[in-house]
Amino acid sequence: MKKNCIAMLLAGGQGSRLYALTQNVAKPSVPFGGKYRIIDFPLSNCANSGIDTVGVLTQYRPLQLNSYIGSGQPWDLDVADGGVYILPPYQSAGEKGSWFSGTANAIYQNMAFIENYDPENVLILSGDHIYKMDYADMLREHLEHDAACTISVLQVSMEEATRFGIMNVGEDGFICEFEEKPKQPKSDLASMGIYIFNWKKLREYLIADENDPNSSKDFGKNIIPNMLNAGEKLWPYRFDGYWRDVGTITSLWDANMDMLSTTLINLYDPTWPISSRSPICPPHFTGENAQIIHSIVTEGCEIDGTVENSVLSSAVKVGTGANIIYSVLMPGAVVEDGATVEYAIVGENTVVHKNAHVGAPPDGTDAWGVATCGPNIEIREGAQVPAGAMIYTSEEV
Amino acid sequence: MKDFHGIIFAYHASPELRELVSVRTAASLPFCGRYRLIDFALSSMMNAGLRDVGVIMQRDYQSLLDHIGSGKAWDMSRKEGGLRILPPFGLPELHTGNYSGTMEALNAVGEYIRDIPQKHVILLLGNLCANIDLTKAKLQHLRSGAPITAICADHTPDGLHHRYVVGEDGFVKTVLFDRVGDGEGLPSLEGYIIDKDLLLSLMDRCKALNLYRFHKDGISMYLNEGGKMGVFVHEGYASVIRTVNAYYQANRDMLCSAKRSQLFPADRPVRTKNHEGVSTYYGAHAVSRRSLVADNCIIEGEIENCIVFSGVRIGKGAKVKDSILMRRCVVGDNCELSHVISDKACTYSAGTVLTGNERLPIVVPKGSTV
Repeated sequence: MKKNCIAMLLAGGQGSRLYALTQNVAKPSVPFGGKYRIIDFPLSNCANSGIDTVGVLTQYRPLQLNSYIGSGQPWDLDVADGGVYILPPYQSAGEKGSWFSGTANAIYQNMAFIENYDPENVLILSGDHIYKMDYADMLREHLEHDAACTISVLQVSMEEATRFGIMNVGEDGFICEFEEKPKQPKSDLASMGIYIFNWKKLREYLIADENDPNSSKDFGKNIIPNMLNAGEKLWPYRFDGYWRDVGTITSLWDANMDMLSTTLINLYDPTWPISSRSPICPPHFTGENAQIIHSIVTEGCEIDGTVENSVLSSAVKVGTGANIIYSVLMPGAVVEDGATVEYAIVGENTVVHKNAHVGAPPDGTDAWGVATCGPNIEIREGAQVPAGAMIYTSEEV
Repeated sequence: MKDFHGIIFAYHASPELRELVSVRTAASLPFCGRYRLIDFALSSMMNAGLRDVGVIMQRDYQSLLDHIGSGKAWDMSRKEGGLRILPPFGLPELHTGNYSGTMEALNAVGEYIRDIPQKHVILLLGNLCANIDLTKAKLQHLRSGAPITAICADHTPDGLHHRYVVGEDGFVKTVLFDRVGDGEGLPSLEGYIIDKDLLLSLMDRCKALNLYRFHKDGISMYLNEGGKMGVFVHEGYASVIRTVNAYYQANRDMLCSAKRSQLFPADRPVRTKNHEGVSTYYGAHAVSRRSLVADNCIIEGEIENCIVFSGVRIGKGAKVKDSILMRRCVVGDNCELSHVISDKACTYSAGTVLTGNERLPIVVPKGSTV
């Protein structure tokens, strides 16, 4: 069945800069913002933008991602023609199977999936961004300008521009140059890693790139520069809403803290729901000694301590007299009586035993950082986990 | 276990539930922040492996239909069988009143019951607030050899109920109707496991004699003729919701951790229709004590001893005590509410003061603006 536009979501690799949090799960299935996992944002954006066919490309620990996405029903993506598909690397007859060697190669290896739907356009998404975006509006601009590729860009400060892929725009408004992390940026338009390609064009470039032994098979490094060099029309789609890359511990923690403000990103907006697959738990219970200030709390939680400026996912337990300050507690985390968790991320089902202390407030030094405890571990009674620590196993503390 | 079929009675709307049942039946009363009463019967059946379940309705069932949909939330949306909604279809044409009794309700869907492929039928009330281990009850029913097993409570509930006096052999000796308070025998939860053939024969005999009551006609007839009836005692929380006070009390019971864990045990989860959700946000001056709060709320004021459903907003300086706020209620700044049962989508303008009391909570009907 022919589709105007389908989406391919690069759920990617391990997300190694999230360390302990991605030991057993791919980055897109890391819990986020109380109710969500990171992948809920691009999937919900697709559903809200009227894109009903999404291929999710992953090659790292797909089990949890697979069971999380399931039939795609939570995002209304369980449709008859289309839907959401997990696309792992695979073997074909007569060939050795191979891992995805780059973002472009991942799409190349799944050309058969795309051709099934014979789309006019293909939307390429990344699985580690938090934002609400109407892809239909981006597609409209893409078609209006008859572009081979439209790249979503965000205005950043000139200092920040040195950390991004920067698009330089010519007088006609089209992109004339692309620079990866320029030392002397000429423009402040940063690529958000969201592309819409005309499929026929992209197909040509993917095949050509695949045959280039020197290519690293990457959209940013190869496909986009090749298209620019060949004189294709690349249009910048200017996005001015909330957008965060959550590829590092600090940025993940920061973006979680942003969820406490409805002015940065409004998740209560009924016209653009971010959907998730959530377990059905009873409402959260606040006990006699609960004190909850400027925080978000999810169903299934039982709270009898102090919670300030924090994000609590489903079924978190906070014991009597425990303190949770500027922290992110992932689903099922338990903080026992008298324990303190501050400026920290605590992974799924991890138990912080009585009177333990995780993390510390910023002290102004460069050495300070957010403390992180991976999933399914135990922080023993009375233990001290210093600021910036990265705990993988129960034995470390 | 494919030998059991479920029937849930969801047509009751007793007048003692007042405004709460003006738009729905008791089975679809919102409960404990995110559930509907019928979730307990459906989940008890689901957790015991039942997938074919008929839900008997009569009128005002739009809210219930909305809630249960295809039965997917309870794995009861199946290729064959699954959840079936049963409005009346076997009644004389001019029948316009309410069902006079459970036998009449069963006979109104008699054709459906006749076509049940399973050998045993489990009957439960849609307004029963209890998480019953039906896996255990099924086994006990099969082992007892009796063609009917009554599900009873391990403690005496408030209000009128029937009691079963059990003999030394473990079978029911007599039934005592309309009791209040403790006494001889075990209080009935009006749930049964019954062989389909026996159910049909009782239905047919009652129909022929123009009798319509399940207990006072059907069960008495059976016991008087020396029929064998086993008893399964449900251990844990149970309440049949027939009055505003019972509804108010049952909700408030859930603020007690021990009772809550009896109704929501980890190994027998209670399923319900899933709503889209964001976590609940507590503002800089929020206070929340001894309360249950669902997702999607924004709480800037104070709540104490409250049950708060999804999508509720509580303004700055507002104080809400001992109250139930159903979905999408908006409590303006500096309001003071106590002992209020606020139905869905009520709005309280800033500064409103409403005070009910323990025995007489104020019921504010759906969609009111105060």
